Amino acid sequence: MTNNSPKRWRITRRGFLIGLGGAGVLTLGWAVGLPKMRMAVSDLAEGTEKPVSRGAPKANPTVWFTISPDNKITLNVQKIEMGQGILTALAQIAADELDIAWERIHVQMANTGSGVDDANGTGNSESVVSHYLPLRQAAATLNVMLKTAAASQLGIAVDGLTINDATITSSDGRSLTFGEVVAAHKGDWVVPKEAPALKPNNAFRYIGQSQPRVDLPGKVTGQIKYGHDMRLPNMLWGVVARPLKFGATIASVDQKNAATMPGVQTVIVEKGFVAVAAETKSQAQTALNAMDIVWNEPSTPITQQAIENAVTVDPNQGVLIQHDGEPETLLHYSSLVIGRTYRTPMAVHAHLEPQAAIVDVRTDGIDAWVSTQVPAGMASGIADAIGRKASEVVVHPVFIGGGFGRRLDASLGAEAARLSAAAKRPVMVQWTRAEEFRNGYVRPPTHHVMQGSVDSAGNITVLAHHQASGDVLLTIFPAVVGDILGWDIGAVRGGKLFYTAKVGKQTVAQRVKLPIATSFWRGLGLLADGFAIESFIDELAKTVNMDPLAFRLKNLPDTPFGNRMKGVLQAVADLAKWGTPLPAGRAYGIACSADAGTCVAQIAEVSVSDGTINVHHVYAAVDAGLVINPDGVKAQTEGGIMMGVSSTLVEEFMVVDGGAGAVNFDKYPLLRNSQAPDISVVIVGGGDAPGGMGEPPIGPVAGAIANAVFALTGQRLTSLPLRLS
Amino acid sequence: MELIINQKTYPIPDNGDSRPLLLVLRDELNLTGTKIGCGAGICGACTVHIDGVPTRSCQTPVNSVVGKQIRTIEGLADTDGKLHPVQQAFLDLQVPQCGWCMSGQIMTAAALIDGNATPTPEQIVTAMDKNYCRCGTYYRIRQAIAHAATLKKEATS
Repeated sequence: MTNNSPKRWRITRRGFLIGLGGAGVLTLGWAVGLPKMRMAVSDLAEGTEKPVSRGAPKANPTVWFTISPDNKITLNVQKIEMGQGILTALAQIAADELDIAWERIHVQMANTGSGVDDANGTGNSESVVSHYLPLRQAAATLNVMLKTAAASQLGIAVDGLTINDATITSSDGRSLTFGEVVAAHKGDWVVPKEAPALKPNNAFRYIGQSQPRVDLPGKVTGQIKYGHDMRLPNMLWGVVARPLKFGATIASVDQKNAATMPGVQTVIVEKGFVAVAAETKSQAQTALNAMDIVWNEPSTPITQQAIENAVTVDPNQGVLIQHDGEPETLLHYSSLVIGRTYRTPMAVHAHLEPQAAIVDVRTDGIDAWVSTQVPAGMASGIADAIGRKASEVVVHPVFIGGGFGRRLDASLGAEAARLSAAAKRPVMVQWTRAEEFRNGYVRPPTHHVMQGSVDSAGNITVLAHHQASGDVLLTIFPAVVGDILGWDIGAVRGGKLFYTAKVGKQTVAQRVKLPIATSFWRGLGLLADGFAIESFIDELAKTVNMDPLAFRLKNLPDTPFGNRMKGVLQAVADLAKWGTPLPAGRAYGIACSADAGTCVAQIAEVSVSDGTINVHHVYAAVDAGLVINPDGVKAQTEGGIMMGVSSTLVEEFMVVDGGAGAVNFDKYPLLRNSQAPDISVVIVGGGDAPGGMGEPPIGPVAGAIANAVFALTGQRLTSLPLRLS
Repeated sequence: MELIINQKTYPIPDNGDSRPLLLVLRDELNLTGTKIGCGAGICGACTVHIDGVPTRSCQTPVNSVVGKQIRTIEGLADTDGKLHPVQQAFLDLQVPQCGWCMSGQIMTAAALIDGNATPTPEQIVTAMDKNYCRCGTYYRIRQAIAHAATLKKEATS
């Protein structure tokens, strides 16, 4: 149990290899006495064993459902449709428990004034997880309430009533539709305290079926309105001065003649906020350009190298977030010991719809249409910015053109609100692509030290992961939270070790405060952690010349969770015919991960041509527990894989000259169609509880590809994006 | 100045400038089915047809398309509402996720199918290679375009 300093580490071409001591044994690269965090908190870090939900919405059916006299039933949800198919999945759950024809249900995103509360926003792969039971209970309760009201209206006992497709029929043959019952009802609805029994799973009509997405007809005809598409009568267009360099602040402003330029209605010059609203976007931009704004740049220049240096594992830093057995005794137990470091870069979200907000501030209220994943948070952000109450603000949710964690930031609506409050007209603020690159937040860079040992029988004896990362979740909390906690739960998503290690295992999270904004990105730390851990598991298998699949199966625990992981590994192996020879020049790599209660395993098939890595096919097996919409699960799996392939092959955000190294896709390309693999997905598992799907499939992608590249070329690539030497 | 969009004539102010067609469609005519992604002709979200040719409207000066036939996603279906085979195929295969890139994807694919009834897989990838999809629907896009060619063949036979 020695206390190493980083200088003992031998630098190799790609990352570091932990220095081996004189006798050929590893001198441990972790320190003793790191602070330990309470394990209850650390369970939030990955949610591997069970879905993690931050609480369910209230189950009052009168808020969730609107019933019209023509017997249409509208489901109001405050989840945002950003392509994940959430409106369809929630409609399936509700329609099933209501036991109504599919055509009868209509689902819509509720505004923040509707009474549908969802302080959590849409993210964390938890919309179905958190809504599944409450929504069923609300639907079942609605049936009971309407039956009770119908009995009263018909003057008979409830017992003799049956419900069929939103029509209540009595034993004497009279019937009332839900719509008729609601129209005839007098007084308040009384919600029963106890939710009634739910229908058995074997009676499901829509749950488990691939119901077509309700939002797609409007998406193939261009009719769906997104935040960027919203227009209001009499609206103005706003632009905001934003720095070209990270950390720059406004030093001085000379407005020149901006306020009197054509079309200009409002110029705001306040501390830290300079903005213009005009009749057209180009008039607003012209006026802003005419102003003389001097920026103060940080006294210490922000450089790419400084960021990478800061995000480097220091064995004496970090918080012990997982500690099982006695990993410190590695020296005495292991026969085969290796260490390896991995690194992942910053990345942008590259949601193709630039974010946009239109806000109408009036004395009698405030309406806002904002491309956001957090309508309730946006309402507060808008209110705070203009000194009004959140209860005065109604945020109308809109479809959003990609979320990926980018739309969790309330400053967007605040800008438009400040301009609207000054101009006394609705104001739209749309970000440009360059602003998205320069002034958004990015996925934090990470650095990982993996260490482990294997006995000659192929059992992992010790496994250790030490991760350094920029902030994810702590970005949105007051600074004091990060100072007390000392580590970032989001950064370490997927970072805890689920393999069995006979002697012991541990995970250390090292928080690095960076001078540029880093935060949520699809899966948070999942892609980076999956890359490091699953690449390293392959390396451990190699030390004992075991098949990577067999090695994983051998070292997963014999627990219900471990069996689910083995299940997806075996299923993907069957799907891809793992073990059968591939054509010359092709190789497979395998990896797995668990997140949000969902287990995923993938096999990537790669080749190399002219030094370029080609990913031809990705096979995936997914165990998401109870599946609501199988095609939706497949679509999310495909999407997570493609985003992961893009990060693995091409994406890297860099700081250049103190600012964004790319301001458009010419210097920050995304995966193109010709680079996109074919994808095959098999769904396994089952049970009574759904797991999350928005993020889990991104976990194994980079590891599977890197492992395939190793199998093909013998090169162990340890940095993203993968580049052959 | 007048534009012919989806066989309708739209008068627009002649500002003597060469503002991009995309901004005229979205900000002046409220035809927001055509999307903006990068504003630099890279991502393809803004693709429309100019005289049948798929064109980046963000890179197209509006004064260069006066008198030409401009077709946007709003005008791709028949006037009786029957979807173009590519739209129908994208529905059948449940292609869109967020949908923001889809107008551009569909217009690009429609131009391909309209000019080539039996595209090979290679021709499909080549035609679609400059349209980004961040949600990652690329594989379904390829399958849907092959399906669209089948739909079109069935409709004409």
